[in-house]
Amino acid sequence: MSSGLLRDVFITGTGVFLPGDPVGVDTMEDFIGRIGGRSSAVGRRALRWNGVETRHYALTPDGRPLHSNASMTAAATKAALENAGLSIGQLGHLATATTQGDYIVPGHASAVHAELGAGPIEIASYQSVCASALMAAKGAWLQVLAGEAEVAASAAGEFSSRWFRPEFYEGTSLVDAKGRARVEADFLRFTLSDGAGAVVMEPRPRPDGLSLKVEWIDLTSLAGRFDPCMWAGSTFADRADMTSAWSHAGPVAAHAAGSVALVQDFELLKIVIRAWIGVWLEKVDSGRIVPDAVDHLLCHYSARSLRDEIVSVLKSTAAMIPEEKWFSNLPSVGNIGAASIWVMLDEFMRSGRARTGEKVLLIVPESGRAMVGFMMCEVV
Amino acid sequence: MADGTRVDDQVADTLRKLAVVFADFEQRLEATPLIRKLTRGRFELADYQLFLINLRQQVKDGALWMSRAASNIGETHLELRSTLMRHAVTEHRDFRLLEADFVCSGGEVEVIRSAPKNVGSEAISAWMFHEASRPDPFGLLGAMFIIEGLGSIKAAPWGRLVKERLALPDEAVRFLLYHGENDAEHMREFEEMLRMVLPDAAVAERIVMTARVTARLYALQIEEIAA
Repeated sequence: MSSGLLRDVFITGTGVFLPGDPVGVDTMEDFIGRIGGRSSAVGRRALRWNGVETRHYALTPDGRPLHSNASMTAAATKAALENAGLSIGQLGHLATATTQGDYIVPGHASAVHAELGAGPIEIASYQSVCASALMAAKGAWLQVLAGEAEVAASAAGEFSSRWFRPEFYEGTSLVDAKGRARVEADFLRFTLSDGAGAVVMEPRPRPDGLSLKVEWIDLTSLAGRFDPCMWAGSTFADRADMTSAWSHAGPVAAHAAGSVALVQDFELLKIVIRAWIGVWLEKVDSGRIVPDAVDHLLCHYSARSLRDEIVSVLKSTAAMIPEEKWFSNLPSVGNIGAASIWVMLDEFMRSGRARTGEKVLLIVPESGRAMVGFMMCEVV
Repeated sequence: MADGTRVDDQVADTLRKLAVVFADFEQRLEATPLIRKLTRGRFELADYQLFLINLRQQVKDGALWMSRAASNIGETHLELRSTLMRHAVTEHRDFRLLEADFVCSGGEVEVIRSAPKNVGSEAISAWMFHEASRPDPFGLLGAMFIIEGLGSIKAAPWGRLVKERLALPDEAVRFLLYHGENDAEHMREFEEMLRMVLPDAAVAERIVMTARVTARLYALQIEEIAA
């Protein structure tokens, strides 16, 4: 930073909390349950498509919760503080991200703060789907950058599995007369899982070991151009009409209409993917991102097959970052929504791959309502 | 590239800029009343027929401006001239297919043949013929990228949606369905055409600008279809 008013900001610690033991493909449906008592027809296809081998659930095999979203997010935050060599008392600003918190009101940050048991601190809740992780990171980064906080944490947690239990679908319009769940809802049940991740930011690098200097964070929302692509709170047909949202219909009617469960519009997703690529290509074109100068790419993606589609376009436009520079732990931890990027970063930092002076690029596309976030760091 | 060869940097640069323009174009299209109706609203037979009526104008003119562009390409770029002429020949009767779809969907052929251009169709047509009339009108490759991209990426999904939502037979949706099939071949051909005129910074810039204007006017054409 050239301005004396602003400071450099470093990620000095990362932390992860993954509940329970890894759950393999064969037993995962025991955890989220079977709608109408029958195994899902689309489940196998979803699992083949996303390439996840093991994942974690904050539920027992019979659907009983072992944790809350807040307690997992707090555990990851503690782990990140510990990794940075700091105590909870030193935390000044907590920025949290999640798709769906434990409560509807108040925000996730309040619940995480309570679970942390920390004294009075400043908090901020960011809520969206996967890219909310980078929204919160940007908030935390700006706090430290501007001198408002000496230690800020950006923490993301998800407890998706509880929303995938049969009672969220049974007796709603998402299940047909034969007891089969609508594919747009059922597919996600096999896509998302639970866990939390966090990073700690400070105005100086850690005294020992490697830190990441945050160079910039860019978020682009294209919500002005698209209807929701992955959402909960509205029916499929009326999702763009806010007056038909669940909050207007009331909880009982909303549940019957299938507006409570999380759903995805796959046709729209294909278009949104091209929109993400457009934002990426624009950044390459403007010189914001120089593919050859990136040493490691950590890109959140929900499925292996989506990545293949993206790669072919990037190659013909000289915007590709060679595959040997990609780092992912999707097969072993699954897609944990907003938490994924920090869980990936934590494993990356522990992998021994990072070398001083290298550039690490984090990308988090979000289908929610067409958003994509980028974060550029340098290993110091 | 699919075959593992690396394209010239300026070809890749131009393709990247064109992809950015196309992404913006696709987002604008998605937000037009007609396409929103098709993808998420109450799309009716009358909407499909209006869609065909309004598309016909640009499809009919497409092969014509391409021929004119070919006739203005100088001797130093004979190969590109040949390619454009072949292209024009392939496509110059496509509007008949569109008319047949219209009739098959229950429309009167006289209605589609006598319909006037909408504001956007007028604008895009005037723009294309203007560009095609310049000497060595290489910028039109940008216009082709947009229109071919529309054909290869959007037409088939639109066609499937129309067919499904209106319960029409294949014979009433052939123009849209047929376009998606030649996707990969067209992109390869397009890259070859780019290589015939690049590297040349001014030409590259003109190609991208022409794509931008074409995309904007094309979206206007769709916006103008009452929905």
